[in-house]
Amino acid sequence: MRAVVVVVHPIDTSFTHSCAAAATNALRSSGHDVTVLDLYAMGFQPAMTESERHAYHGEQPVVDPLVAESVEAVRSAEMLVFVYPTWWSSVPAMLKGWLEKVMLPDVAFVFDAAGKVRPGLTHVRTIVGIASYGSPRTYIRLMNDNGRRTLMRALRLNTGWRTTCRWLPFYSIDGSTPEQRAAFIARVEREVGSL
Amino acid sequence: MRTLVVYCHPNPDSFVAAVRDAALMGLRAGGHEVRVTDLHARGFDPVFTAEEEAHHLSDSTVSAEIAPYAADLQWCESLVLIYPTWWAGQPAMLKGWIDRVWVNGVAWEFPQGASRLRGRLRNIRRITVVTTHGSSKFVNALEGEPGKRIATRAIRVLCSRTCRTRWIALYTVDRSTLAQRQAFLQRVTRRMRR
Repeated sequence: MRAVVVVVHPIDTSFTHSCAAAATNALRSSGHDVTVLDLYAMGFQPAMTESERHAYHGEQPVVDPLVAESVEAVRSAEMLVFVYPTWWSSVPAMLKGWLEKVMLPDVAFVFDAAGKVRPGLTHVRTIVGIASYGSPRTYIRLMNDNGRRTLMRALRLNTGWRTTCRWLPFYSIDGSTPEQRAAFIARVEREVGSL
Repeated sequence: MRTLVVYCHPNPDSFVAAVRDAALMGLRAGGHEVRVTDLHARGFDPVFTAEEEAHHLSDSTVSAEIAPYAADLQWCESLVLIYPTWWAGQPAMLKGWIDRVWVNGVAWEFPQGASRLRGRLRNIRRITVVTTHGSSKFVNALEGEPGKRIATRAIRVLCSRTCRTRWIALYTVDRSTLAQRQAFLQRVTRRMRR
């Protein structure tokens, strides 16, 4: 399968990057074709600009070359993997902006004759989320786990009905031990490798 | 009430800009003291940096870039967020304002030996969200309303314990009629007076 791994963390030695590397290695050893998009390393600009907003519903919605690169990867992707730290119960602004600027009309969704939104990501068969959280699971549930909802529901609605979702959460990271983190990375490698 | 309006839309001619004006009209009619932060006009950078990430637990000093935004947040009693809902939540620009301004020393602290962080924005007694959705209320319910819960839960817990929240939303805006949009603007003005 062609997989796109979207990695979001400002520090390239972070736990998030270790998880992303584990996922990427596992996918490659299982014979998948992997494209890694490290948004901070790319210098992705998440805020939608006025010209991008004007172009959004037009013929040429892609203004930024970094967006073009991501759009090309997403168009042929059969698997989307998101690796990020949870901030304020949701995805970092960087990833939110990537969704806004890359998941465009005619990329992620299409408008039907009545102007209703229909799925455009029918080629995506699997969505994987690998998220770290500062808080424990009960607290995250209480806050509605908004990052997970954004990817596993809002984005999922734009894929086909048979798309499978896999969520790999690592809770309470601030109080975790090196052993727990190593065990989680091993789990990522095992579970992503078996997809 | 001392009210901070945080407005987020890249296009000055958008419907959301009209919503902001309607909200400001209501706030002024209600005699509220208002400060407005227009994130796009002020060129806010929503990207939480490596430097900020490296020290966010240990260091509560706020950079000169963030300080004016933090001061507004600590000044207000009522916070009003006005934005279009994109991908079920706040635009990246506004999420970045939360990521970068609601930081250690401003919105929360992590005292030595504490098991979890403590909110510091006890001055905020009310959070109001005014937003537009391209999708219907039903689709938003299916998606689990991430944007609504970020505002009414994730950031609310750092505010006053009795902080109340208001949700003023126009759904299916892309297929709305002019009359519906005008009615929404009137509703926004009316509700913001209080």
